[in-house]
Amino acid sequence: MAIAIKPVGGLTPANIGESLRRKPDLKGALFQFVMLFSLSISIGVLVVLLYTVVSDAWPVLSTRLGDFVTGTLAPDAGRAGISQGLKGTFYLCVIVAIVAFPLGIAAAIYLEEYAPRTRLSSFIEVNIRNLAGVPSVVYGILGLAIFVNGWGISALTGGRSPLAGGLTLAALVLPVVIITTQEAIRAVPSALREAGFGVGATKWEVIKDHILPYAAPGILTGTLLSIARAAGEAAPLLLVGTITGFISNSPGWFDVRQVQDKFAAMPTIITSWAKQPEEGFRVENAAAAIVVLVAFVILLNSAAILLRNRFEAKRAG
Amino acid sequence: MKLRSFFTLLFALALVAAACGSDADTSASDGSTDESASADGSAADGGSSGGGDIFISGSSTVEPISVRVADAFTADRPEVNTAVEGPGTGDGFQKFCAGETDISDASRAIKESEAEDCAANGVEFVELKVGIDGIAVMSGPGNPLSCLSFADMYSLTSPEAEGFENWSDANELNLEVGGSGDLPDAPLTITAPGEESGTFASFIEIVLEDTLDERGQEITTRFDYQSSPNDNVIINNVSSDDSSFGWVGYAFAEEAGDSIKVFEISEEEGGECIAPTPATIADNSYPISRDLFIYVNKAKAAANPDLVDFVDFYMDYGLKTAVADAKYVPLDDAAMAETVSAWEGR
Repeated sequence: MAIAIKPVGGLTPANIGESLRRKPDLKGALFQFVMLFSLSISIGVLVVLLYTVVSDAWPVLSTRLGDFVTGTLAPDAGRAGISQGLKGTFYLCVIVAIVAFPLGIAAAIYLEEYAPRTRLSSFIEVNIRNLAGVPSVVYGILGLAIFVNGWGISALTGGRSPLAGGLTLAALVLPVVIITTQEAIRAVPSALREAGFGVGATKWEVIKDHILPYAAPGILTGTLLSIARAAGEAAPLLLVGTITGFISNSPGWFDVRQVQDKFAAMPTIITSWAKQPEEGFRVENAAAAIVVLVAFVILLNSAAILLRNRFEAKRAG
Repeated sequence: MKLRSFFTLLFALALVAAACGSDADTSASDGSTDESASADGSAADGGSSGGGDIFISGSSTVEPISVRVADAFTADRPEVNTAVEGPGTGDGFQKFCAGETDISDASRAIKESEAEDCAANGVEFVELKVGIDGIAVMSGPGNPLSCLSFADMYSLTSPEAEGFENWSDANELNLEVGGSGDLPDAPLTITAPGEESGTFASFIEIVLEDTLDERGQEITTRFDYQSSPNDNVIINNVSSDDSSFGWVGYAFAEEAGDSIKVFEISEEEGGECIAPTPATIADNSYPISRDLFIYVNKAKAAANPDLVDFVDFYMDYGLKTAVADAKYVPLDDAAMAETVSAWEGR
């Protein structure tokens, strides 16, 4: 008995080759065009943004970049610099890294590997996800109430200080660190885990020798992206209270005592300068500060990518 | 083993950040030949936060004056830690009355409620008038009107004007409050400072308050206008539309030049129209001007000789140079002498 071949979508063995040759894939082409269009819009916006900022900043960047980066806050636009803001943002990032990373990664490991799947643990997970979406200014209020004015804590942080700001930003990025770490751990193939248990490794050994090394690139990407976010946040710092007008004090980069002193930070300097009436501040200096901050964040991000690639190469090899 | 390398990488991250830091630090030593000499001086001094610190908060309008004074003071006295910020007059008094700050900048006199707050916390202060700021009332460059009276402004911006979307909508109210009722038929869009701003409060106090009182209205403006804390946003919005309306501090309007039209102002309808200029603001003939103050905490001044030096310096350099540099109008000689004697007689 001969097998009757039913035509599918008008295709028969006889004309299938022809249809492949002739029919233009219109929908496919359209889809590709839409995707390309979306990509060019995103890149176009970025290019326009960078172009305007860099061209606004050019008078500063081309004539006094060194002085701008090393100078201190000053009333004259031609003399004002951002070294205090850079130091403030640097210490904020260091504090976020010290506080949020170990806490966040440890919490994620616990939630993924040890926590029993109870109603409580899923309640906690849902809340962590919600916290990641809370507006940053709310964290600013939290920081003001607890880290700046909190009874006892204010003595430790020194009030409106990088320590208070850094702890606030650490609380802000903590949910993001936990979530990205969890995702990275979830992406570890279960075969790897089972193989570990199969040869008699303990849970701890499996986590430390198999899961964490495998998940490290993902964890690293998440953590460094959250540092970049912390570096660019202005809203919580406005509430915690950075100085934007003038600070005479400009200690060295590695003078750790400054974490308890009044401080300036890049994002709040930019918001404050952008409000000044004088063009030298409002346009040129603000734009130049943005360029420096963007460079700082790009540096952090490329460090993340480099480290991740290195890990991935190691894992593959 | 591998876990250790993972944590090593976390540390590496910290080092990367540190490396960015030291990069900028090396360029610091390269580039700090001339301009940042004072910065180096204070850097050598380290982050010492002794009792001699000076912390100034308050009005963002007065902030540029205090920043200039602090900057010049630091050049002479780099060992004194000085910090200036400008979150707003109200926020400033809150910190000042809690004893957080040494000096509070203010673009209006302290309110009774704020003074009570200070008294409750045992904060005694001395009020020093340092300069004068005018408020410019403005529209787009092509606006045909040249002079507005207080009655005109009342009928455009008071709570009774809520819902007016055309200048002519205000004519009836304008006649009621003593205006001539001949505002043109043109769409009305208002952009002005919001509640957090000293300029908002001053506008109400100077222009609206008397009439609001008379008519039993709440002491505020209409709420249906676009408010912005950023004076440049206000100027941008106003300049883009020839029948717009708005107000900002005189320094901002002067900076904006021909991109906006600044109205002459008459206090009474049909009275003399006066344009805001440094001269008319200083002699108080321009009707919408306000005094700028600093408030000094007496107890802190008694305990901190650096603070006394600082205010002494403010009384000299601040009143004579910084006020004008910050584009405000300096006090005349009599008013200046009055301020200095208020400080000396504290």
